[in-house]
Amino acid sequence: MNLQLFVNGLVNASLIAPPAIAFTLLFGVLRFPNFAIGGYITVGAFMAYTANVIFAWPLVAATLFAMAVTALVVWLSDVVVFAPLRNQEPVTLLVVSIAFSLILENLVRLFFASDVRGFDIPLERPIKVMGARITPEQLDILMLAFAITVAVHVVLRFTRFGKAMRAVADNPVLAQVRGLSLRWITAGTCALAGAIFGLTGVFAGLDLVIEPLIGWNLTIPIFAAAILGGIGSPMGALVGAICVGMAEELTILVLPSTYKIAVGFLIIAVFLLLRPQGLFGQPEIKK
Amino acid sequence: MSEALLEVENVSTGYGKIDIVFGASLGVAAGEIVSVIGPNGAGKSTLLKAIAGVLRCSAGDIRIKGETVANRPPSEVARLGLAYVPQEANVFRQMTVDENLTIGGWVDRGHVRERRERVLELFPDLRVHLGTRAGNLSGGQRQMVAFGMALMVAPSVLLLDEPSAGLSPKMVAEMFAAVKKVNATGVAVLMIEQNAIQALDISHRGVVMAGGEIALIDDASALLASENVSELYLGTRR
Repeated sequence: MNLQLFVNGLVNASLIAPPAIAFTLLFGVLRFPNFAIGGYITVGAFMAYTANVIFAWPLVAATLFAMAVTALVVWLSDVVVFAPLRNQEPVTLLVVSIAFSLILENLVRLFFASDVRGFDIPLERPIKVMGARITPEQLDILMLAFAITVAVHVVLRFTRFGKAMRAVADNPVLAQVRGLSLRWITAGTCALAGAIFGLTGVFAGLDLVIEPLIGWNLTIPIFAAAILGGIGSPMGALVGAICVGMAEELTILVLPSTYKIAVGFLIIAVFLLLRPQGLFGQPEIKK
Repeated sequence: MSEALLEVENVSTGYGKIDIVFGASLGVAAGEIVSVIGPNGAGKSTLLKAIAGVLRCSAGDIRIKGETVANRPPSEVARLGLAYVPQEANVFRQMTVDENLTIGGWVDRGHVRERRERVLELFPDLRVHLGTRAGNLSGGQRQMVAFGMALMVAPSVLLLDEPSAGLSPKMVAEMFAAVKKVNATGVAVLMIEQNAIQALDISHRGVVMAGGEIALIDDASALLASENVSELYLGTRR
């Protein structure tokens, strides 16, 4: 296989994996597929842009600012928009989340117009590894995505908050009966997922360009990765992200790159038809 | 009997706007076992869910140690020392036995290690399965995990919904022995059982529910001796 394609695939997977894990964490606790991820990522990218370019903050500080604001937006959207609809069918909430994503995206357009923008960072030469090129930003994305994936795993396995999140995802009624506060765990999960979406906005802005559609372009691959891995399974989301990221790049060998986005749709369609629980998810038993 | 730890006063409850239980009143004192018996659909499980805070009460009051808990979130009710073990979905299936027990211990963080040791002494079978996912255990073992997790709460009031359901006769005996042992430490136990005779055998009092109402409350021995109750609810003719 062409090493450059492999590197591109890995970078692509690094963009998809953290938000796919965040999406699946949110699904576990909120019990509906929150399609507003695109809007959240766009907010993250533009908040980092505001801090970095308009306020002239260093990129690290701008990233932390974007993560904090996006965390707040995800939590607020849950309290104001989704919590009052908690008793509705998941499909209703899914449709509302699509609408909410469009609102966020267009709010960003209202303030920043549709221009293409970039962070204020020095342009650096790509590094060459065995003939494959990778930019220093892409290398950062790769390493940070890996670090986040490991960190989320550690949080879920070993911390009290992580175990509480897993307990709520597993059996929300029993979790409450055992004294866990659904309100705090939901808020914490929203904040964690929001911070990851905010960071993804920065990653996407570094790898591509910053524009209001930045999040929407990632929504389908993220959703595809979560479905492929099995919604509700963070490890599955990681494997799903690697598969989707690689598959998108490999299609370039046989199709024009404009068809890249179709890969995600194809994966969603095939898995929903043949194995809706994904590779690692548990089939839902309805009585 | 001393003052009631759990008091249920004229409680009506159900699902959504439809009540299933009407005006139920009962009390359970420290160190007492009260069994609720009655036919399917009598509202027994619904009443337990309302006491645990899982269902809302449309009327009446529920108090634990004198504090009103009716219509408060289940997490707050749990923190007041009430441990409810539902009949189904009573363990975190994707989590290990150890993690299930750990979560039980979060309500009251004092002496968690000692409590865990006591649970493992009560159910020694669990010791070898600590690293196993609860969903991969047999029905009986899962029931032990559910009971063990509730004991990790260090409860003063224990609500058990059909603790012997689906268990082998040997395990049923073990489960009732465990309930008795826990009760001997002063815990108030309110238990629903289909295995009514065995349940009444270890109970101080029995509550008969029918049609969403409490039909009768009496000493367990009196209910066991009563011809009407035997014929109608215990499946025996004497």
